[in-house]
Parts: sequence; C-alpha cells; structure tokens
Amino acid sequence: MTERKEKNSERVIELESRRLARGKNRELIIKTHIEIQRNNEIIADNINKLLHEYNIKSFDIVGAIGAGKTAILENISHRLAQKYKMLVICGDITTRIDADRIEKENVDTIQINTGRECALNAYYIEKIIKNIDLNKYNLIFIENVGNLICPAEFLLGMDKRVIVVSVTEGEWVIEKHPLLFKTSDIVIINKIDLVERLGTNVDKMLNDAKKINPNIEIILTSAKNKEGIGNLISAMQL
Amino acid sequence: MIDITEIEKLLKNKEKVNKIEFNIVLKNFLRKNVQKNNINDYIGDFPSFIEPVFLGKNIKIGNDVLLGPNVYIGDNSEIGDYSEISNSIILDNVKFGRLFKLNNCIVIGNSQFNFNNCSVEYCILMDNANSRENLNIKCFK
Repeated sequence: MTERKEKNSERVIELESRRLARGKNRELIIKTHIEIQRNNEIIADNINKLLHEYNIKSFDIVGAIGAGKTAILENISHRLAQKYKMLVICGDITTRIDADRIEKENVDTIQINTGRECALNAYYIEKIIKNIDLNKYNLIFIENVGNLICPAEFLLGMDKRVIVVSVTEGEWVIEKHPLLFKTSDIVIINKIDLVERLGTNVDKMLNDAKKINPNIEIILTSAKNKEGIGNLISAMQL
Repeated sequence: MIDITEIEKLLKNKEKVNKIEFNIVLKNFLRKNVQKNNINDYIGDFPSFIEPVFLGKNIKIGNDVLLGPNVYIGDNSEIGDYSEISNSIILDNVKFGRLFKLNNCIVIGNSQFNFNNCSVEYCILMDNANSRENLNIKCFK
C-alpha cells in the first residue's frame, strides 16, 4: 500500500459524521460511504495517471474562506503565466468571482459551482479533464471550496495538496483541523504582514503543523505584499 | 435568437448521418453558444454547475442536479431531480423526470418525458413519452 493510500484508509476510519445514522441504516450508510470514498480514490488515481501522461504538474489548493487562496493563485499566475501553460479550476458554492480574478493574470480558468456541496470531488475534476485538450496545459491548479473540513474527504488526483491558512484565523486553526494538514504537502501561513498587529502565535502554528504532519513544508507569505511567493514557487518546484 | 438550423437538418437526416457527423453538429453548437457560464436565472435549489453551462429563461432545476461541462438548456425547460447532464443540448420547452443521465445528447424542443431513470449517450431524444420503452430516440454507435 502506498503512503498516500494508507493516509486515505486512515481518513475513512476517522470520519465521524456517519454516527448520525442509526439502526439498520448505519451499516448501509457506512458501506455506501466507504464505497464512495473508494470510487473517488480510483477516479483520483486515474486523473493523476492521465495528467502524468501529458506531463502536467498539478496542485490542489485548500483552505478556509478568506485565507487567501485566490490571492496566492493570483500571485502564482502573475509570476508563472509566461513560463507555463496554466489552467486554474475554481471551486465555489456559487458565483465566478474567483475565476474572474485569476483570469486577469492571463491564465485559463474553469469554474465549478458546487451548489450545496462543501468540497470538490474527483468526479467533477474528471468531467473537466476529459473534456479539455490536455495538450494545451502543463500546469493545473485547483482552488477547492473554502473550508477546512470537507475537502479532507476527497482527493482530486493532483500531485500535491497545498493548504493555505492565515494568521487572522488564530493560532489554533491548525491544531483544530488536523485531518486536512495530515493529507497536505505544503502549508502556507498567509497574511504574515498582520502578525504584529494581531499578536498571533506563529510559532505555535509552525509546531502544530510539524506535529500533525512531520513531512509538511511550511511557507510564510503575504499575498497582499507579494512576500514569500518566490519561496512558495520553489517549494512547489515550479 | 439561437440558430438551430444545423440541428433541424440533423433531425431531418437522422437515419443517414453517422456518429461523427452527429458529434460535429453537437460540438459546433456548444462551441458557438456555450463558452462560459450563463447561469444567472433559474428556479431551483442550488444545483452543481461545471463550466460552461448556458441556461435560457425560466428554467426549473430539481434537487441534486449536476449540469456541465458543455451544456445548453433552452427557455422554459425543466430538469428532474438527481439528473446529470454533460456535453448536451436541451432545446426550449423540454421537461423530463428524475435521474436522467445524458452525455453527448440533443433533446429536441417541446419534448416531454414523464418517467424516471434514463441514461444515454450520443442520442437524439424527441417527442413525448410516458415510459422509457415509448421514448422516441435515435442513438449513434
């Protein structure tokens, strides 16, 4: 079993919302849920294989609403739009606001509106991947729906998952949302320019991230001031 | 006003055309009329959209519906609960039941399918039907 698959199995065991089901329904719900997770993982694996066949690098960007995912992607796009043929897939409950912002940096965007769903899943991404000309791209970013809970359940077949948190969310944000940090490769601590004013304990955030996931790489940024973006791009090996 | 001349020609010659010709008409229409999301006006409870999706006027969308990518839905059409539509054209005044899964399909205007559960690909669907067995459908293999 690969390391990522082990992580996925762990995630299935850790999910607690199934406790809502009672009696006969409980067994059915758990069985169905595991089946859905497995299906998602199979699709995610297939997406990743397909992207590799086309030599496309790929990243899933997750984080809470307002953490700065879009601002980070605007900065990355600004720096890399000339170097790479980029596609950014934006996930939101509704609207095209984020996609419109990123598109101004001269990269292609596709918006997914999830309606009532709190995360993107591999099926949505597969629908896009199968309907575009993959020869047009060599770098794909997915900006997931903004929250720190649901996206943990669904891998999307990207090479790496990058999680964005900001100092405005408080120093407990990492400790309180371990699952998503466990399955991420890079954590960005954003809005670092506000640390002095807010008094957020960044050291605690750093320690919590390393405690939850010793292999996670940590980058400090201020998307607003364009600080740390170069370090992030290096960490992403782009 | 949307130009559906090519679709009308396709419909007229549906017994003679092959899958490739069908696909060209479908893709050309979608390329011309569905480039980015146009989903501002619909009645429904937050369906999921994968861009690009074009919705006409007075569209009703059921619960847990997934539309896109590459979907055109004409005026006054109604999409049943739990339906999933991709790479397809639904013309004006179409109504269908729950659990319709259409991929690479064209549904001709003024069609009503008053039944549930229908999963098809590369087909033209038309007229009225109260069951899957009575459905007027031409599929391309």
